[in-house]
Amino acid sequence: MTNTDRIQELFNSELVVLNIGPRLFGDALGKQNVEVVQVDWRPLAGGDKQMQDLLADLGI
Amino acid sequence: MDFKQQIEQANQKAAEILTGGRPVWVDVQPAGDVIPGMTPDTLLIAGPPIAVEEIPGPVKTAICGALIYEERATTMEEAWQLVTSGTVKVESAQDHDAACGAAMATSASMPVCVVEDKVYGGRGFCAVHPGNKQNVLRWGFYNEEVQRDLVWFRDHYGPALGETVRRMGGIDLINVMSKTAGMGDENHNRQPAASMYMALQMIQTMMEMEFPYRDQIVKEFAANDRFFLHVMMAGAESVLASVKKIPHSTVMVAMGGNGIRFGTRFAGTGNRWFTVEAPLIEGLFLKPTYTREDMLGFLGDSCVTEVYGLGGMSASAGPGYVILTGSTFADALQRSADARKVCVAEHMFAPIPWDGSRGFPVGVDARKVVGLNILPTSHGGGTLKAGGQGTMGSAKLPLDCFKQGLVAINEILINEAK
Repeated sequence: MTNTDRIQELFNSELVVLNIGPRLFGDALGKQNVEVVQVDWRPLAGGDKQMQDLLADLGI
Repeated sequence: MDFKQQIEQANQKAAEILTGGRPVWVDVQPAGDVIPGMTPDTLLIAGPPIAVEEIPGPVKTAICGALIYEERATTMEEAWQLVTSGTVKVESAQDHDAACGAAMATSASMPVCVVEDKVYGGRGFCAVHPGNKQNVLRWGFYNEEVQRDLVWFRDHYGPALGETVRRMGGIDLINVMSKTAGMGDENHNRQPAASMYMALQMIQTMMEMEFPYRDQIVKEFAANDRFFLHVMMAGAESVLASVKKIPHSTVMVAMGGNGIRFGTRFAGTGNRWFTVEAPLIEGLFLKPTYTREDMLGFLGDSCVTEVYGLGGMSASAGPGYVILTGSTFADALQRSADARKVCVAEHMFAPIPWDGSRGFPVGVDARKVVGLNILPTSHGGGTLKAGGQGTMGSAKLPLDCFKQGLVAINEILINEAK
Protein backbone atom coordinates (compact mmCIF):
# COMPACT_ATOMS: atom_id res chain seq x y z
CA MET A 1 0.00 0.00 0.00
CA THR A 2 1.47 3.36 -1.02
CA ASN A 3 1.31 6.51 1.11
CA THR A 4 -1.23 7.94 -1.30
CA ASP A 5 -3.42 4.92 -0.74
CA ARG A 6 -3.18 5.38 3.00
CA ILE A 7 -4.31 9.01 2.72
CA GLN A 8 -7.13 8.00 0.42
CA GLU A 9 -8.18 5.32 2.88
CA LEU A 10 -8.26 7.93 5.63
CA PHE A 11 -10.70 10.05 3.67
CA ASN A 12 -12.87 7.06 2.97
CA SER A 13 -13.16 6.27 6.67
CA GLU A 14 -15.17 8.21 9.24
CA LEU A 15 -13.12 11.24 10.25
CA VAL A 16 -12.65 12.48 13.80
CA VAL A 17 -10.54 15.62 13.58
CA LEU A 18 -8.40 17.28 16.22
CA ASN A 19 -8.03 20.90 15.18
CA ILE A 20 -5.18 22.81 16.81
CA GLY A 21 -5.01 26.60 16.76
CA PRO A 22 -7.07 28.57 14.20
CA ARG A 23 -10.72 27.57 14.35
CA LEU A 24 -11.31 28.22 10.66
CA PHE A 25 -10.25 24.75 9.48
CA GLY A 26 -12.22 22.96 12.15
CA ASP A 27 -15.30 25.09 11.50
CA ALA A 28 -15.17 24.24 7.79
CA LEU A 29 -15.14 20.53 8.56
CA GLY A 30 -17.85 20.96 11.19
CA LYS A 31 -20.13 22.41 8.48
CA GLN A 32 -19.57 19.18 6.53
CA ASN A 33 -20.79 17.17 9.53
CA VAL A 34 -17.32 16.00 10.47
CA GLU A 35 -16.72 15.53 14.17
CA VAL A 36 -14.11 18.11 15.26
CA VAL A 37 -12.44 18.59 18.62
CA GLN A 38 -10.96 22.06 18.96
CA VAL A 39 -7.74 22.37 20.94
CA ASP A 40 -7.30 25.84 22.42
CA TRP A 41 -3.63 26.22 21.59
CA ARG A 42 -1.60 29.34 20.99
CA PRO A 43 2.10 29.66 20.36
CA LEU A 44 4.04 30.47 23.52
CA ALA A 45 4.36 34.25 24.07
CA GLY A 46 2.36 34.88 20.93
CA GLY A 47 5.37 33.72 18.90
CA ASP A 48 7.76 36.33 20.32
CA LYS A 49 11.12 34.57 20.03
CA GLN A 50 12.92 36.70 22.62
CA MET A 51 10.20 36.00 25.18
CA GLN A 52 10.13 32.30 24.29
CA ASP A 53 13.88 32.10 24.99
CA LEU A 54 13.47 33.97 28.29
CA LEU A 55 10.62 31.73 29.41
CA ALA A 56 12.70 28.64 28.63
CA ASP A 57 14.95 29.78 31.50
CA LEU A 58 12.40 31.44 33.77
CA GLY A 59 9.65 28.83 33.37
CA ILE A 60 5.96 29.53 33.15
CA MET B 1 18.58 26.00 42.17
CA ASP B 2 18.01 27.10 38.59
CA PHE B 3 16.21 30.33 37.71
CA LYS B 4 12.88 28.59 37.33
CA GLN B 5 13.10 27.01 40.78
CA GLN B 6 14.10 30.30 42.38
CA ILE B 7 11.10 32.02 40.82
CA GLU B 8 8.71 29.20 41.73
CA GLN B 9 9.82 29.34 45.35
CA ALA B 10 9.49 33.14 45.46
CA ASN B 11 6.07 33.08 43.83
CA GLN B 12 4.89 30.44 46.29
CA LYS B 13 5.83 32.82 49.09
CA ALA B 14 3.99 35.66 47.32
CA ALA B 15 0.90 33.46 47.02
CA GLU B 16 1.03 32.67 50.76
CA ILE B 17 1.20 36.34 51.72
CA LEU B 18 -1.47 37.47 49.27
CA THR B 19 -3.97 34.87 50.47
CA GLY B 20 -2.86 34.74 54.11
CA GLY B 21 -2.53 38.48 54.78
CA ARG B 22 -5.24 39.97 56.98
CA PRO B 23 -5.77 43.69 56.27
CA VAL B 24 -7.42 45.46 59.21
CA TRP B 25 -8.38 49.16 59.12
CA VAL B 26 -6.86 50.43 62.37
CA ASP B 27 -6.75 54.22 62.22
CA VAL B 28 -7.03 57.52 60.40
CA GLN B 29 -4.03 59.82 60.79
CA PRO B 30 -2.41 62.75 58.96
CA ALA B 31 -0.45 61.41 55.98
CA GLY B 32 2.78 63.04 57.13
CA ASP B 33 2.63 61.28 60.50
CA VAL B 34 2.25 57.75 59.18
CA ILE B 35 3.35 57.27 55.56
CA PRO B 36 6.98 56.14 55.31
CA GLY B 37 9.21 58.72 53.64
CA MET B 38 6.50 61.40 53.62
CA THR B 39 7.60 64.93 54.60
CA PRO B 40 5.87 68.35 54.51
CA ASP B 41 7.67 68.79 51.16
CA THR B 42 6.29 65.58 49.68
CA LEU B 43 3.16 65.21 47.59
CA LEU B 44 1.96 61.81 46.49
CA ILE B 45 0.15 61.19 43.21
CA ALA B 46 -1.03 58.15 41.27
CA GLY B 47 0.83 55.95 38.84
CA PRO B 48 4.50 55.61 37.98
CA PRO B 49 6.89 58.54 38.61
CA ILE B 50 6.41 61.36 36.12
CA ALA B 51 8.50 64.38 35.08
CA VAL B 52 7.00 67.62 36.41
CA GLU B 53 6.52 69.10 32.94
CA GLU B 54 4.45 66.06 31.84
CA ILE B 55 1.96 66.12 34.72
CA PRO B 56 -1.53 66.39 33.18
CA GLY B 57 -3.90 69.27 33.96
CA PRO B 58 -6.23 67.67 36.54
CA VAL B 59 -3.29 66.32 38.57
CA LYS B 60 -1.56 69.70 38.36
CA THR B 61 -4.71 71.34 39.70
CA ALA B 62 -4.86 68.83 42.56
CA ILE B 63 -1.19 69.39 43.39
CA CYS B 64 -1.56 73.17 43.45
CA GLY B 65 -4.80 72.90 45.40
CA ALA B 66 -3.11 70.69 47.99
CA LEU B 67 -0.29 73.21 48.40
CA ILE B 68 -2.71 76.10 48.88
CA TYR B 69 -4.67 73.99 51.38
CA GLU B 70 -1.37 73.36 53.20
CA GLU B 71 -0.81 77.16 53.23
CA ARG B 72 2.40 76.74 51.26
CA ALA B 73 1.12 79.10 48.57
CA THR B 74 -1.72 81.51 48.00
CA THR B 75 -2.19 81.15 44.24
CA MET B 76 -2.02 78.25 41.78
CA GLU B 77 0.98 79.88 40.05
CA GLU B 78 2.86 80.23 43.31
CA ALA B 79 2.08 76.63 44.19
CA TRP B 80 3.29 75.33 40.83
CA GLN B 81 6.51 77.28 41.26
CA LEU B 82 7.22 75.25 44.43
CA VAL B 83 7.00 72.10 42.30
CA THR B 84 9.01 73.28 39.28
CA SER B 85 11.73 74.67 41.57
CA GLY B 86 12.06 71.29 43.28
CA THR B 87 11.12 72.66 46.71
CA VAL B 88 8.20 70.26 46.78
CA LYS B 89 8.78 66.72 45.51
CA VAL B 90 5.97 64.95 43.68
CA GLU B 91 6.33 61.20 44.14
CA SER B 92 4.54 58.01 43.24
CA ALA B 93 2.19 57.03 46.09
CA GLN B 94 2.72 53.32 45.53
CA ASP B 95 6.44 53.79 46.19
CA HIS B 96 5.31 54.72 49.74
CA ASP B 97 2.86 51.82 50.26
CA ALA B 98 0.08 54.32 49.60
CA ALA B 99 -2.45 54.80 46.82
CA CYS B 100 -4.12 57.85 45.23
CA GLY B 101 -7.49 57.65 43.50
CA ALA B 102 -7.59 59.27 40.02
CA ALA B 103 -6.11 62.82 40.02
CA MET B 104 -5.69 62.98 43.79
CA ALA B 105 -2.65 64.63 45.35
CA THR B 106 -2.06 63.61 48.97
CA SER B 107 -0.27 66.10 51.19
CA ALA B 108 1.10 65.83 54.73
CA SER B 109 -1.87 67.07 56.77
CA MET B 110 -4.56 65.15 54.88
CA PRO B 111 -6.17 62.33 56.88
CA VAL B 112 -5.41 58.88 55.48
CA CYS B 113 -6.86 55.48 56.31
CA VAL B 114 -4.20 53.32 57.93
CA VAL B 115 -4.62 49.61 57.28
CA GLU B 116 -2.41 47.01 58.90
CA ASP B 117 -1.85 43.45 57.75
CA LYS B 118 -2.12 41.62 61.07
CA VAL B 119 -0.34 38.52 59.79
CA TYR B 120 2.69 39.87 57.93
CA GLY B 121 2.90 43.33 59.53
CA GLY B 122 2.73 45.57 56.45
CA ARG B 123 0.90 48.90 56.55
CA GLY B 124 -0.92 50.65 53.70
CA PHE B 125 -2.41 54.12 53.31
CA CYS B 126 -5.02 55.99 51.30
CA ALA B 127 -6.84 59.30 51.75
CA VAL B 128 -10.36 59.07 53.14
CA HIS B 129 -12.82 58.76 50.22
CA PRO B 130 -14.24 62.23 49.52
CA GLY B 131 -17.78 61.17 48.57
CA ASN B 132 -19.57 60.82 45.29
CA LYS B 133 -19.47 64.44 44.10
CA GLN B 134 -17.28 65.47 41.19
CA ASN B 135 -16.02 68.71 42.73
CA VAL B 136 -13.15 67.17 44.66
CA LEU B 137 -9.36 67.14 44.46
CA ARG B 138 -9.58 63.48 43.45
CA TRP B 139 -11.14 64.46 40.11
CA GLY B 140 -8.77 67.37 39.54
CA PHE B 141 -10.76 70.30 40.89
CA TYR B 142 -9.81 72.92 43.45
CA ASN B 143 -11.95 75.88 44.54
CA GLU B 144 -13.50 77.31 47.71
CA GLU B 145 -15.84 74.38 48.21
CA VAL B 146 -13.01 71.86 47.82
CA GLN B 147 -10.91 73.88 50.28
CA ARG B 148 -13.74 73.84 52.83
CA ASP B 149 -14.14 70.07 52.40
CA LEU B 150 -10.40 69.46 52.85
CA VAL B 151 -10.37 71.44 56.09
CA TRP B 152 -13.53 69.65 57.27
CA PHE B 153 -11.90 66.28 56.59
CA ARG B 154 -8.70 67.30 58.36
CA ASP B 155 -10.31 68.85 61.44
CA HIS B 156 -13.45 66.80 61.98
CA TYR B 157 -14.43 64.02 59.57
CA GLY B 158 -11.06 62.23 59.47
CA PRO B 159 -10.39 62.41 63.23
CA ALA B 160 -13.92 61.14 64.00
CA LEU B 161 -13.44 58.13 61.72
CA GLY B 162 -10.06 57.44 63.32
CA GLU B 163 -11.50 57.60 66.82
CA THR B 164 -14.29 55.23 65.79
CA VAL B 165 -12.08 52.52 64.29
CA ARG B 166 -9.63 52.76 67.18
CA ARG B 167 -12.46 52.30 69.67
CA MET B 168 -13.72 49.31 67.68
CA GLY B 169 -10.26 47.75 67.80
CA GLY B 170 -10.01 47.90 64.02
CA ILE B 171 -12.20 46.61 61.20
CA ASP B 172 -11.20 43.39 59.47
CA LEU B 173 -11.58 44.00 55.72
CA ILE B 174 -11.59 40.28 54.85
CA ASN B 175 -14.50 39.92 57.24
CA VAL B 176 -16.36 42.76 55.47
CA MET B 177 -15.87 41.15 52.05
CA SER B 178 -16.80 37.69 53.34
CA LYS B 179 -20.00 38.99 54.89
CA THR B 180 -20.93 40.75 51.65
CA ALA B 181 -19.98 37.88 49.31
CA GLY B 182 -22.57 37.39 46.60
CA MET B 183 -24.02 40.88 46.99
CA GLY B 184 -22.67 42.10 43.67
CA ASP B 185 -19.55 44.03 44.67
CA GLU B 186 -16.41 43.56 42.61
CA ASN B 187 -14.82 45.98 45.09
CA HIS B 188 -13.12 48.36 42.72
CA ASN B 189 -15.85 50.26 40.92
CA ARG B 190 -18.77 48.84 42.83
CA GLN B 191 -18.80 48.39 46.61
CA PRO B 192 -22.16 49.46 48.05
CA ALA B 193 -22.56 46.21 49.98
CA ALA B 194 -19.12 46.43 51.60
CA SER B 195 -19.59 50.14 52.36
CA MET B 196 -23.01 49.53 53.91
CA TYR B 197 -21.86 46.56 55.96
CA MET B 198 -18.95 48.57 57.30
CA ALA B 199 -21.27 51.48 58.10
CA LEU B 200 -23.64 49.06 59.85
CA GLN B 201 -20.84 48.22 62.28
CA MET B 202 -19.34 51.69 62.61
CA ILE B 203 -22.48 53.76 63.10
CA GLN B 204 -23.35 51.83 66.27
CA THR B 205 -20.03 52.89 67.76
CA MET B 206 -20.27 56.43 66.41
CA MET B 207 -23.62 56.93 68.09
CA GLU B 208 -22.14 55.93 71.46
CA MET B 209 -19.41 58.52 71.16
CA GLU B 210 -19.27 62.24 71.68
CA PHE B 211 -17.40 64.20 69.07
CA PRO B 212 -18.12 67.55 67.42
CA TYR B 213 -20.60 67.50 64.51
CA ARG B 214 -21.34 63.82 65.15
CA ASP B 215 -24.71 63.72 63.40
CA GLN B 216 -23.36 65.51 60.34
CA ILE B 217 -20.41 63.14 60.19
CA VAL B 218 -22.62 60.05 60.52
CA LYS B 219 -24.94 61.36 57.81
CA GLU B 220 -22.08 62.07 55.42
CA PHE B 221 -20.40 58.75 56.12
CA ALA B 222 -23.57 56.71 55.70
CA ALA B 223 -24.38 58.40 52.40
CA ASN B 224 -21.13 57.35 50.71
CA ASP B 225 -21.60 53.97 49.05
CA ARG B 226 -18.05 54.12 47.65
CA PHE B 227 -16.41 54.67 51.02
CA PHE B 228 -14.98 51.14 51.16
CA LEU B 229 -12.87 51.70 48.02
CA HIS B 230 -10.21 53.87 49.63
CA VAL B 231 -10.09 51.72 52.77
CA MET B 232 -9.57 48.68 50.54
CA MET B 233 -6.88 50.46 48.51
CA ALA B 234 -5.00 50.98 51.77
CA GLY B 235 -5.76 47.34 52.60
CA ALA B 236 -4.27 46.13 49.33
CA GLU B 237 -1.16 48.21 49.96
CA SER B 238 -0.78 46.78 53.47
CA VAL B 239 -0.51 43.23 52.13
CA LEU B 240 1.51 44.18 49.04
CA ALA B 241 4.04 45.91 51.31
CA SER B 242 5.23 42.43 52.36
CA VAL B 243 5.05 40.92 48.86
CA LYS B 244 7.28 43.75 47.58
CA LYS B 245 10.10 42.38 49.74
CA ILE B 246 10.28 38.96 48.04
CA PRO B 247 13.31 38.74 45.73
CA HIS B 248 13.08 36.83 42.43
CA SER B 249 9.29 36.85 42.35
CA THR B 250 7.61 37.62 39.02
CA VAL B 251 4.37 38.57 40.78
CA MET B 252 2.99 42.07 40.15
CA VAL B 253 3.03 44.27 43.27
CA ALA B 254 2.01 47.68 41.90
CA MET B 255 0.23 49.19 38.95
CA GLY B 256 -1.35 52.47 38.07
CA GLY B 257 -1.51 55.33 35.63
CA ASN B 258 -0.49 58.99 35.85
CA GLY B 259 -2.64 60.01 32.87
CA ILE B 260 0.31 59.86 30.47
CA ARG B 261 2.09 56.59 31.29
CA PHE B 262 0.78 53.35 32.76
CA GLY B 263 3.17 51.25 34.81
CA THR B 264 3.64 48.07 36.77
CA ARG B 265 6.11 46.89 39.38
CA PHE B 266 7.09 43.32 40.20
CA ALA B 267 8.30 41.92 43.53
CA GLY B 268 11.62 40.70 42.14
CA THR B 269 12.60 43.95 40.45
CA GLY B 270 12.50 46.33 43.42
CA ASN B 271 11.36 49.90 42.89
CA ARG B 272 11.63 49.84 39.09
CA TRP B 273 8.50 50.72 37.14
CA PHE B 274 7.87 49.29 33.69
CA THR B 275 5.80 51.72 31.70
CA VAL B 276 3.98 52.22 28.40
CA GLU B 277 1.70 54.92 27.02
CA ALA B 278 -1.36 54.95 29.26
CA PRO B 279 -4.35 53.14 27.70
CA LEU B 280 -7.83 54.66 27.86
CA ILE B 281 -10.41 53.37 30.28
CA GLU B 282 -13.34 52.63 27.98
CA GLY B 283 -16.88 51.43 28.46
CA LEU B 284 -19.60 53.91 29.28
CA PHE B 285 -19.33 57.66 28.73
CA LEU B 286 -21.01 59.43 31.63
CA LYS B 287 -22.37 62.10 29.27
CA PRO B 288 -23.33 61.47 25.65
CA THR B 289 -21.33 64.50 24.53
CA TYR B 290 -18.00 63.07 25.74
CA THR B 291 -15.65 61.52 23.18
CA ARG B 292 -12.39 59.57 23.34
CA GLU B 293 -10.54 62.80 22.56
CA ASP B 294 -11.80 64.28 25.83
CA MET B 295 -10.16 61.54 27.87
CA LEU B 296 -6.82 61.35 29.60
CA GLY B 297 -4.96 58.06 29.56
CA PHE B 298 -5.33 55.72 32.52
CA LEU B 299 -5.08 57.82 35.68
CA GLY B 300 -5.20 56.54 39.24
CA ASP B 301 -4.06 53.91 41.71
CA SER B 302 -7.45 52.43 42.53
CA CYS B 303 -6.37 49.45 40.40
CA VAL B 304 -4.23 48.35 43.35
CA THR B 305 -7.47 46.55 44.16
CA GLU B 306 -6.81 44.43 41.05
CA VAL B 307 -3.23 43.83 42.20
CA TYR B 308 -4.86 42.36 45.31
CA GLY B 309 -7.36 40.25 43.34
CA LEU B 310 -10.44 42.48 43.22
CA GLY B 311 -12.11 44.63 40.52
CA GLY B 312 -11.46 43.13 37.08
CA MET B 313 -10.00 40.03 38.70
CA SER B 314 -13.21 39.45 40.68
CA ALA B 315 -15.44 40.65 37.83
CA SER B 316 -17.60 37.54 38.14
CA ALA B 317 -18.58 38.73 41.63
CA GLY B 318 -19.86 42.05 40.25
CA PRO B 319 -21.45 41.36 36.87
CA GLY B 320 -23.78 44.34 37.32
CA TYR B 321 -20.88 46.73 36.84
CA VAL B 322 -19.60 44.84 33.81
CA ILE B 323 -23.03 44.92 32.16
CA LEU B 324 -23.59 48.59 33.04
CA THR B 325 -20.36 49.49 31.25
CA GLY B 326 -21.34 47.81 28.00
CA SER B 327 -20.20 44.21 28.38
CA THR B 328 -22.08 41.05 29.28
CA PHE B 329 -22.45 38.55 32.11
CA ALA B 330 -20.36 36.13 30.03
CA ASP B 331 -17.65 38.79 29.79
CA ALA B 332 -17.64 39.14 33.58
CA LEU B 333 -17.10 35.40 33.97
CA GLN B 334 -14.45 35.46 31.25
CA ARG B 335 -12.49 38.26 32.96
CA SER B 336 -12.16 36.22 36.13
CA ALA B 337 -11.45 33.03 34.17
CA ASP B 338 -8.66 34.75 32.22
CA ALA B 339 -7.22 36.18 35.43
CA ARG B 340 -7.15 32.69 36.98
CA LYS B 341 -4.94 31.50 34.13
CA VAL B 342 -2.27 34.11 34.86
CA CYS B 343 -2.41 34.29 38.68
CA VAL B 344 -0.52 32.35 41.33
CA ALA B 345 -3.33 32.01 43.87
CA GLU B 346 -7.02 32.44 44.60
CA HIS B 347 -8.71 34.25 47.49
CA MET B 348 -11.28 31.93 49.04
CA PHE B 349 -12.89 34.29 51.57
CA ALA B 350 -15.82 35.08 49.28
CA PRO B 351 -16.54 32.26 46.79
CA ILE B 352 -19.04 33.21 44.11
CA PRO B 353 -21.95 30.74 43.72
CA TRP B 354 -22.67 31.60 40.05
CA ASP B 355 -19.00 31.19 39.16
CA GLY B 356 -18.71 27.59 40.33
CA SER B 357 -18.07 28.82 43.88
CA ARG B 358 -14.63 29.88 42.73
CA GLY B 359 -12.71 32.61 44.52
CA PHE B 360 -10.92 35.71 43.24
CA PRO B 361 -7.65 35.13 41.37
CA VAL B 362 -4.75 37.07 42.90
CA GLY B 363 -1.07 37.58 42.17
CA VAL B 364 -0.52 38.20 38.47
CA ASP B 365 2.57 36.29 37.29
CA ALA B 366 4.36 38.18 34.50
CA ARG B 367 5.58 34.88 33.05
CA LYS B 368 2.06 33.62 32.57
CA VAL B 369 0.78 36.87 31.08
CA VAL B 370 3.58 36.87 28.50
CA GLY B 371 3.71 33.14 27.90
CA LEU B 372 -0.02 32.58 27.55
CA ASN B 373 -0.56 35.98 25.94
CA ILE B 374 -3.56 36.56 28.21
CA LEU B 375 -4.10 40.11 29.44
CA PRO B 376 -6.00 40.60 32.72
CA THR B 377 -8.55 43.39 32.89
CA SER B 378 -8.61 46.36 35.23
CA HIS B 379 -11.86 48.13 35.94
CA GLY B 380 -11.73 51.87 36.42
CA GLY B 381 -13.13 55.33 35.96
CA GLY B 382 -11.58 57.47 33.22
CA THR B 383 -10.62 61.09 33.89
CA LEU B 384 -11.43 63.94 31.50
CA LYS B 385 -8.57 66.13 30.31
CA ALA B 386 -10.54 69.03 31.76
CA GLY B 387 -11.02 67.26 35.10
CA GLY B 388 -13.89 65.14 36.34
CA GLN B 389 -14.90 61.60 35.58
CA GLY B 390 -15.72 60.92 31.92
CA THR B 391 -16.07 57.16 31.71
CA MET B 392 -16.61 54.07 33.75
CA GLY B 393 -15.34 50.88 32.25
CA SER B 394 -12.18 48.88 31.94
CA ALA B 395 -8.80 48.50 30.27
CA LYS B 396 -6.64 45.52 29.39
CA LEU B 397 -3.29 45.56 31.18
CA PRO B 398 -0.59 46.38 28.59
CA LEU B 399 1.49 43.35 27.60
CA ASP B 400 4.72 45.31 27.20
CA CYS B 401 4.88 46.15 30.93
CA PHE B 402 5.10 42.44 31.63
CA LYS B 403 7.65 41.78 28.89
CA GLN B 404 9.90 44.55 30.26
CA GLY B 405 9.56 43.07 33.74
CA LEU B 406 10.65 39.63 32.56
CA VAL B 407 13.74 41.03 30.82
CA ALA B 408 14.67 42.89 34.02
CA ILE B 409 14.22 39.92 36.32
CA ASN B 410 16.25 37.74 33.97
CA GLU B 411 19.09 40.29 34.11
CA ILE B 412 18.96 40.29 37.92
CA LEU B 413 19.14 36.50 38.06
CA ILE B 414 22.02 36.37 35.55
CA ASN B 415 23.99 38.99 37.50
CA GLU B 416 23.43 37.14 40.77
CA ALA B 417 24.59 33.88 39.22
CA LYS B 418 27.91 35.39 38.04
